[in-house]
Amino acid sequence: MSLRADHVAGAFFIVAGLLVMALSGDLPMGRLSMPGAGFLPRIVAVLMIVLGAALALRAHESGPLAAIDWSDLRHALPVVAITAAAIALYERIGFITVMIALVLGLLLIIERRSVWRAAIYSGVLVVLAFGLFAKALKAPLPIGPFGF
Amino acid sequence: MESTLQSLWLGFSVALQPGMLWYAFVGCLVGTLVGVLPGIGPLSGISILLPITFGMNATQAVIMLAGIYYGSQYGGSTTAILMRIPGEASSVMTCIDGGAMAKKGRAGAALCIAAVGSFIAGTFGLVLLTVLAPPLASLALSFGPPEYTALLVLGLIFLAYMSSTSLMRTLLMACLGLMLGMIGIDNMTGHFRYSFDLPELGDGIGIVPVAVGLFGLGEILSTPSKNVTAEVISPKLRELLPNREEWRQSVMPIARGSVLGFIIGIIPGSAHIISSFLSYALEKKVSRRPEEFGKGAVAGVAGPESANNAASTGAFVPMLALGIPTGPITAVLIGALMVHGVAAGPQLISEHPQVFWGFVASMYVGNLMLLLLNLPLVGLFVTVLRIPYAYLYPLIIMFCIIGVYEVSHSIVDVWIMLIMGILGYGLRKFGFDPAPLVLGLVIAPIFEQSLRQSLIMSNGDYLIFLQRPIALGLVAVSVVLLAMSAISFVLHRKDWRAKLAEAEAGEPSA
Amino acid sequence: MDRRSFLIGASAAALAAKPVLAQDAFPSRPVTIVNAFPPGGVNDIVTRPLATLLEPILKQPVVVETKAGAAGQVGAQFVASAKPDGYTILSHNTGISGYAEVDKLFGRPAKTTRADFIPLARLVADPMLLLVNDQQPWKTLKEFIDHAKAHKDTLVFSSGGLYGASHLPLAYLEKVTGPLGLRHLPTNGGGPAITAILGNNAQVTTQSVSATLPHVKSGKLRPLATFGATRSKVLPDVPTLKELGHNVEYYLWVGMFAPKGTPVPIVTILRAAIDKAAHSDQFTTTLTNAGQELAYLDGPDFQKFWDIDGAKTDDAVKLIGRQG
Repeated sequence: MSLRADHVAGAFFIVAGLLVMALSGDLPMGRLSMPGAGFLPRIVAVLMIVLGAALALRAHESGPLAAIDWSDLRHALPVVAITAAAIALYERIGFITVMIALVLGLLLIIERRSVWRAAIYSGVLVVLAFGLFAKALKAPLPIGPFGF
Repeated sequence: MESTLQSLWLGFSVALQPGMLWYAFVGCLVGTLVGVLPGIGPLSGISILLPITFGMNATQAVIMLAGIYYGSQYGGSTTAILMRIPGEASSVMTCIDGGAMAKKGRAGAALCIAAVGSFIAGTFGLVLLTVLAPPLASLALSFGPPEYTALLVLGLIFLAYMSSTSLMRTLLMACLGLMLGMIGIDNMTGHFRYSFDLPELGDGIGIVPVAVGLFGLGEILSTPSKNVTAEVISPKLRELLPNREEWRQSVMPIARGSVLGFIIGIIPGSAHIISSFLSYALEKKVSRRPEEFGKGAVAGVAGPESANNAASTGAFVPMLALGIPTGPITAVLIGALMVHGVAAGPQLISEHPQVFWGFVASMYVGNLMLLLLNLPLVGLFVTVLRIPYAYLYPLIIMFCIIGVYEVSHSIVDVWIMLIMGILGYGLRKFGFDPAPLVLGLVIAPIFEQSLRQSLIMSNGDYLIFLQRPIALGLVAVSVVLLAMSAISFVLHRKDWRAKLAEAEAGEPSA
Repeated sequence: MDRRSFLIGASAAALAAKPVLAQDAFPSRPVTIVNAFPPGGVNDIVTRPLATLLEPILKQPVVVETKAGAAGQVGAQFVASAKPDGYTILSHNTGISGYAEVDKLFGRPAKTTRADFIPLARLVADPMLLLVNDQQPWKTLKEFIDHAKAHKDTLVFSSGGLYGASHLPLAYLEKVTGPLGLRHLPTNGGGPAITAILGNNAQVTTQSVSATLPHVKSGKLRPLATFGATRSKVLPDVPTLKELGHNVEYYLWVGMFAPKGTPVPIVTILRAAIDKAAHSDQFTTTLTNAGQELAYLDGPDFQKFWDIDGAKTDDAVKLIGRQG
């Protein structure tokens, strides 16, 4: 029997449900007439395990796992990496620097656009957004050690 | 009735003064801006501008601040349709079919329908507010935890209609959402649940980070720029307006959304969040072509957008008539009135008629202003889609980060957004639809809290849900719905066997 | 190559543009007041006008940044771990006192303690009221207490949250009267708690004067006693608990704090600035309109007050204990 997509999906939910059960440790169950903090989470976790198992059992209705197209992963992974780096630095280095770096990084590294157009585009839009949020609407955005 | 008209006349005589028109306009303009920009919702918009109103009188202040509130409801759909960033919980549903319409080149039509639907719903809500505020307000008070629980049971049943994927996949997504919704401090006992002692997770996972991650970022991750052809999304200017067919399809959803949204808006608490979800599910349920939902159904934009606007007007009923906040935004408005020496409460109408009626009248004017402001803006907004996708998506990611961060200035929320983006990417690969997850997340904390509150009220007796008329009515509707789907399930099953028999007979099944 | 040289150039330019020097007199850049509570609450109503008035005094922009969550704990922890340079200060309220004790109750490490903050000023102190709704028969506190004790587990008490500022006063009261046997209905804040009692989903609550005054005036809610030391000016007919023989006081106060380790000269500048802003006509008018009164305490006096108030909070949290 070949591995189907829903075998993996079902397993994911079973693991997630079991994980919740394990993390529920000392949360009190309470009684049906006065449910405690762990009552509904455990019900939902059990439901998730049961439904996940049912999904895996009926997996023959789904396509084979190997048929899933992962070609966009080459786009998704760098986007995630660059975004994660931007989030990590966001509060430390400040809005303008990080956002210009983010937009520029995406345009240059992934999209391979020309440097000057990308630089102008990112610079203008980020400064515009900063003016709109931080100055016009007085909504604080993170400021870096350089004062912007 | 006559006295209402007289009072409304008094109101218009206040609201149509040039000064008042100006404040209403400023409010609507700021509201549109605040609504269009993700992250800065009406809540922070109003509270940031509160000190500016100190030099004004109470009527001017409340007219301007309320303009920000209902103005932002108009703008909320813009980023949802153009960039699939749901700036706030109420525009999550809009970004599904609105985003799909934009992909088909109908972004202008979607924005127009959203604006017109918002106008009709807002005005409809106002008429009810003018005529029926006091009696409706007492209805609001009779909506306690048991009624909430019953309403949310109905919401959970509606979950099944949320998605075009199989029932099992829908339920799995809903469970995942419910699970995420239970993260955080348990209000009833003070336990930290599944939050690893992070105080940022204490109030649970926000709807905005999850929705922005699943829809906004998730979509970008699974859309490499080489797969996008520019002509598809950038519409021609003359195609901006909805065509006759699209108008026809949006009439009834707007009407239904207005009524549904207004009723839900009156309920104090967090119920207004679910108005757009319920409207979407309702439209899908009554639609003759439910399979179009998720692929750019006009009703999927018209219904939820109208519901969301009617709800924001409905929310004024208990605020103005009783002085009780239906949510955080009305709480800010009550605070703003207080700062100006006007106590929002049962005596507001008799003690400060010019404030109350001037405010109501200004909303009629404001809604018209917003329509006139928003329709021309559609053309401007749609030009955003003329930016080539390779340049557009870095911008969308930036707005995702700002939008999520600005809600509560929490970097943890932004990380959640990224994780949800990756989850959304994965879910798409395995054929799951994230919409029920978001509804589960919305419902979980309210449902759990109201269920347990009800049981505290009744000392553990479940009969409380059958002893109160409104709760009983809602439970009855749920039972009927379940019975109906059980019947159709049995019929469908027969159908399926028949199909199988046909298939075995060698005939191709339809 | 092109790209890299551009990036290096950009960051070099950024460094060169850095204008701020460390030796400048405080404050040389914008000051941020972190508000640990969402808009609409008493903290927002007090902090926004204060920030506006601080700007001309400090001659720098003063930005209010809302960091709400976990009943104010998120904002408190953020400021406690911020750089103690006076540029990040905290607007918080009565709730700040109890976090450590609640954490202890659940065996969690305390995220912040009272020692993490230097009190700068207390601005308002709104006394709590013990309120019942108009469908209840009791006219005096004694009638209510007698009824509650005689019919245990029948009355519902609504609060804005477990161990919160509208839950603790009940514990204070029960400490002197003995258990009243009320069923506790926690909600998501003051507004929902008041809605619950207005709709008779609860019968008793403790809320501040300013939050409930309109409902008291309309007769929907009946105050049986105030937790203040003296009778409230706006409700002169409501007796204090002390008059009634119960030695209990409880206020919903709002104060400004700096993180521990902020240099003394900077604390002094901030205290003087807040003092000046708080005593301006504009600020007192705003407070009066909002149903509040200036109850100003300067840093050292506030610290003395807080030491006593905080110790009482610890006792009340212990008395409430774990709820299941």
